[in-house]
Amino acid sequence: MSGYDWLVMAQWLFLAYFVGINLGYLLQNVLAAFGIRRYLQTADQFEAEGVFSALDIPISLIVPAYNESASIITSIRALLQLEYPDFELVVVNDGSSDDTLEKLTQAFNMQPFPEAYRTRIPCSKVRAIYRSTRYKNLRVIDKINGGSKADATNAGINACRYPLVCVVDADSILQTDSLRRVVRPFLENQTTVAVGGTVRIANGCTIRGGFLERVGLPRNPLALVQVVEYLRAFLFGRMGWSPINALLIVSGAFGVFHKETLVEAGGFDREAVGEDMEVIVRLHRLLREKGRPYRITFVPDPVCWTDAPEKLRDLKNQRIRWQHGLGQCLALNRSLLLNPRGGAVSWLAMPFYVFFELLGPIIEVMGYLFIFASWWFGWLAMPEVLIFLSLAIGLGVMLSSSAIMLEELSFHMYPRTRDLLLLYLVSIFENFGYRQLTAFWRLQGIFRWLRGGTHEWKTIARSVSVADD
Amino acid sequence: MLDWLLSSRFETQVTAALWATAAAALTTVVSFFYTLGLRATTLIQAQRRARLVKRWRTIFALATISCNDAEHAPLPQFSRRERTDLLEEWNHAWTTVQGSAIDNLVTLGKRIGFLEIARRKLARHRLNAQLLGLQSLGHLRDRESWSAIEAHLSSENTALSVTAAAALMDIDAERAIGRLIPLIAERRDWPRTRVFNLLRIAGSELVSEPLARAIRSASSEDQAFLLRFAPLAKYAVMDAVAEELIRESNDAGVLSAALKQISGYGGVPRIAALTRHEAWFVRMEMAKVLGRIGQKEHLSLLRTLLKDREWWVRYRAARSIVKLPFLGPNALRRMRDCETDRYARDMFQQAMAEVGLE
Repeated sequence: MSGYDWLVMAQWLFLAYFVGINLGYLLQNVLAAFGIRRYLQTADQFEAEGVFSALDIPISLIVPAYNESASIITSIRALLQLEYPDFELVVVNDGSSDDTLEKLTQAFNMQPFPEAYRTRIPCSKVRAIYRSTRYKNLRVIDKINGGSKADATNAGINACRYPLVCVVDADSILQTDSLRRVVRPFLENQTTVAVGGTVRIANGCTIRGGFLERVGLPRNPLALVQVVEYLRAFLFGRMGWSPINALLIVSGAFGVFHKETLVEAGGFDREAVGEDMEVIVRLHRLLREKGRPYRITFVPDPVCWTDAPEKLRDLKNQRIRWQHGLGQCLALNRSLLLNPRGGAVSWLAMPFYVFFELLGPIIEVMGYLFIFASWWFGWLAMPEVLIFLSLAIGLGVMLSSSAIMLEELSFHMYPRTRDLLLLYLVSIFENFGYRQLTAFWRLQGIFRWLRGGTHEWKTIARSVSVADD
Repeated sequence: MLDWLLSSRFETQVTAALWATAAAALTTVVSFFYTLGLRATTLIQAQRRARLVKRWRTIFALATISCNDAEHAPLPQFSRRERTDLLEEWNHAWTTVQGSAIDNLVTLGKRIGFLEIARRKLARHRLNAQLLGLQSLGHLRDRESWSAIEAHLSSENTALSVTAAAALMDIDAERAIGRLIPLIAERRDWPRTRVFNLLRIAGSELVSEPLARAIRSASSEDQAFLLRFAPLAKYAVMDAVAEELIRESNDAGVLSAALKQISGYGGVPRIAALTRHEAWFVRMEMAKVLGRIGQKEHLSLLRTLLKDREWWVRYRAARSIVKLPFLGPNALRRMRDCETDRYARDMFQQAMAEVGLE
């Protein structure tokens, strides 16, 4: 083959990739639109009508906490006010080096409690268990740091008493009816084993007493871009997989699991970088191996709000970690790829994640480099370069704008028209630098995974104030 | 431009890229204007609704208080476009009142012409229209629409079928309950909280016998499910059903559900056998029942369950023991201290701490 032939082949490869991945996301958006429409039509049927019954499933909320002294009290106070008939709160103090435990014991009048703790899932040593004398449904597990959030979560699962466990980040901001909404799939379908809640960006929102009071857009440009990104990739992307039972990730910030199934699967992997995705993919694999009917689904209602990084360094670390976790998770569960018994997970979701999400940054970065190299060496004229770049950017803008349109069709969380226009503007500028930068970081994440690097559970700089009063 | 394109070495690829870019741009522009249009429509509809509500809310409020106002108060005109909003407002008002206020609202609703509007909505094929039609006909207590509503009970769409169920209950609860209770086990897609509320509103008088009949004639799987609604029926009726099931059934799910329901005051069959049942959740429920019965002769059974291999069985046994009326704190402490099984002793300790004895 001549150099020209290689050039042509490379062009078609990059064209096919860019068009393919964006069409894939667009298809997800279409599926998500149908799913959300169906969900909203029946949403009223599930309103509790002000009356709860013994039929609601009690839930254990696990809150892993590591050095959360600044905000833990506000967070726990807010969680205790959740509107749900029967739930318990299990805070896991994972060997914090600050005064997280002291603040908890003081604020909630915690006393040591002789609990018959059973270690169904291995975790690092539990030093003591405390129970609040003021709030009977609040306990604190104090343990030695296990080096990962997964270890803390597993320690919490061991102490949980209820059939459903909800894992919540210590800095997650929930809505008072979040539990009612996220438990709905378990009531609708008894084969449900995991449900993901929609996570939205809290930056720019007004938070009072640990609850969201008013939705707003952040001023920080980095956080603003992430609002659009979350809508595109994390909301509608996931909603698209849910109807075909091929959802591969439930956010670690807010997810609900059937406890016994989780315990049977071995809990969260302490070695996994992306433990939230790894446990879901493992559940798919194990349950399909056993031939058990199950559902892993997603609730499109905004139920959880979280901090987005506002500094480049924090964002970079986050994206490298996510990509690292993705690679590790897919490798650990590679037997699920193109497995004859794997259904939509094996034949649609896994290939999509491998070829587009995992390898995508390689092709994307190479694509940009190729275009510029082609121009530099005179293989492509400037108009041709601009056309190819326009395609890459145009497809990205199309996808982001379709996500904003879906948001308007469904939840319209941004009632001010100027916010809507701002989101559109951001969806354009997102594709001039931000996407390319995140692709490069994701590439770094892939290299880290291939090198077998580790990632510690670090705290990112807080942007949203939920500080204790 | 075209000359340049035709002279390009990569004409095909560039053309493909151009067309794809154009398609993406067009899609973006269309979605942008569609979204703006949606926003404008939403704002206009919200303003229109606010004006409508302002006109009619007072009329609804006065009608709930005064029968005379419901029957004779002058009614403002409303346009075709406002029908749906008005009907929704009326339905909302209906859900906020009780007793004779509902009767007044029904009278007012019929005067406004909601019967005709609701029947037409039900006849349409759009889901939202049908749901509103069903709800409205139920609230209007339209017996003539009974058959049309009942036809939707068997709809595959969950919202439609459960709304039809609610509408029938609103029209004639006594007639509807016999139709609905047998369906509850079939329609597992019906939101349980919704079903629970429907039965709760019907009342234990209406619910008890049909529910008891349904449980007795159901399969094992359905029996366990239907027993969840037992708290809504008369306790004596359900106690008898639970006792029968405990005596006769071998299904672990049924036994567990029946044990959960039975009070135990009238005695429990097969006590000893059930404390040794292979299913841990049956043993757990048995531990709870023994605690409810609270008899001295069952203490040894509870102490055996305290040493069970399952955590939950041990926990429930411990909780039952510490709440036994004939055992004081000192007796409990002695019992704990004499316990040789480590797991049993730990659980005893926890249970005592939970009730404030440690």
